[in-house]
Amino acid sequence: MIYLELFLSFLMIGFTSFGGMSMIPLINQEMLSHGWLTAREVADIVAIAEMTPGPLGLNCATFAGIRTAGIPGALAASMGVIIPSLTVCMAAAAFLTKFKESRLMDEAMYGIRPVCIGMIFAVIIQQSEVNYAGKLFGFVSWPAVLIGAVAMVLLLKFKWNVPRTILVSAALGMLLGGF
Amino acid sequence: MTKEQREKLPVIFRTFLKFGCFTFGGGWSIVAQIQKEFVEKRKWITDEELLDFTSVARSVPGLMIGNASVLFGYQEAGAIGALVALLGIVIPPVLIMIGVVFVYNLLQNNPYMARAMMGVRAAVVPIILSALIKLFKAGMKDVFCYLIALGALALCLFTGISNVLIVVLGAAVGLLYREVKSRRDLS
Repeated sequence: MIYLELFLSFLMIGFTSFGGMSMIPLINQEMLSHGWLTAREVADIVAIAEMTPGPLGLNCATFAGIRTAGIPGALAASMGVIIPSLTVCMAAAAFLTKFKESRLMDEAMYGIRPVCIGMIFAVIIQQSEVNYAGKLFGFVSWPAVLIGAVAMVLLLKFKWNVPRTILVSAALGMLLGGF
Repeated sequence: MTKEQREKLPVIFRTFLKFGCFTFGGGWSIVAQIQKEFVEKRKWITDEELLDFTSVARSVPGLMIGNASVLFGYQEAGAIGALVALLGIVIPPVLIMIGVVFVYNLLQNNPYMARAMMGVRAAVVPIILSALIKLFKAGMKDVFCYLIALGALALCLFTGISNVLIVVLGAAVGLLYREVKSRRDLS
């Protein structure tokens, strides 16, 4: 049953993700392996999630759920992704003083953070292959590469926020997309 | 549940619904909003308590925004308070996203929209990259971390192994490494 699959898939994503972009590799793999979304649509979700309020993971769950199985699918996926907050985090809240003193999570995070960094690198490679593909030299799209370079400079050099950068990229896409 | 806690529930729900409409840019946005509303204005919690919530929210699995809401709600009004805060923070983004997908489906085959989305997709790699740089600063503590990261990258690129399993492996390696290190330091 698709609703149960969506629920379980996002439940797993929720339990093994530690905030923001660290969810992207998990979401990317789950969506592609189930054939629920294409790599392009994953890129679209990331951009749309940055433009709308709400946690990235929840936005992805709603988007993927509704695209695969309508509004009930969106609800099933969203439920899945918030269960960790309701269980693990609720337990941490109940034993807050004990939890704060425990080094266990700290030590696990020592291994989890680098792993997430490695996985995100893999997603970047895969997304680059999809989003910059075109006809130049038989494999790159020069407007996409140009826009990507502009976005990089805006984000890193001029410290623009993400929604503004996305708006400019969309405008540049409209201008250059015909070439 | 005490009377005082019961009276807090509608306030928590209303304010978290409001927060839910403005949580842009990850976990820190909710921390800033709680700080303004419940530390400065209502004085329900202190800055130190908020700091505790933030560090715990970051170190347990799940959405950091959801975790921070649960921690705050639980302290103010128990498990029901946590549930109410979480629902408040989650409902607006879900509704907004349902609307967005509706528009996305309508415009997907529009040629202008297709061009704009080409530009947006070209910006996604830089966006992920800039988030990665921040993670890099927080996560790469020593040489061993680089080895773990390279290992994870290799597993992703050259095997079909599930990312979920890679995260679990990472946690195990982290626990093991610290254990070995602390024993060596003791002896």
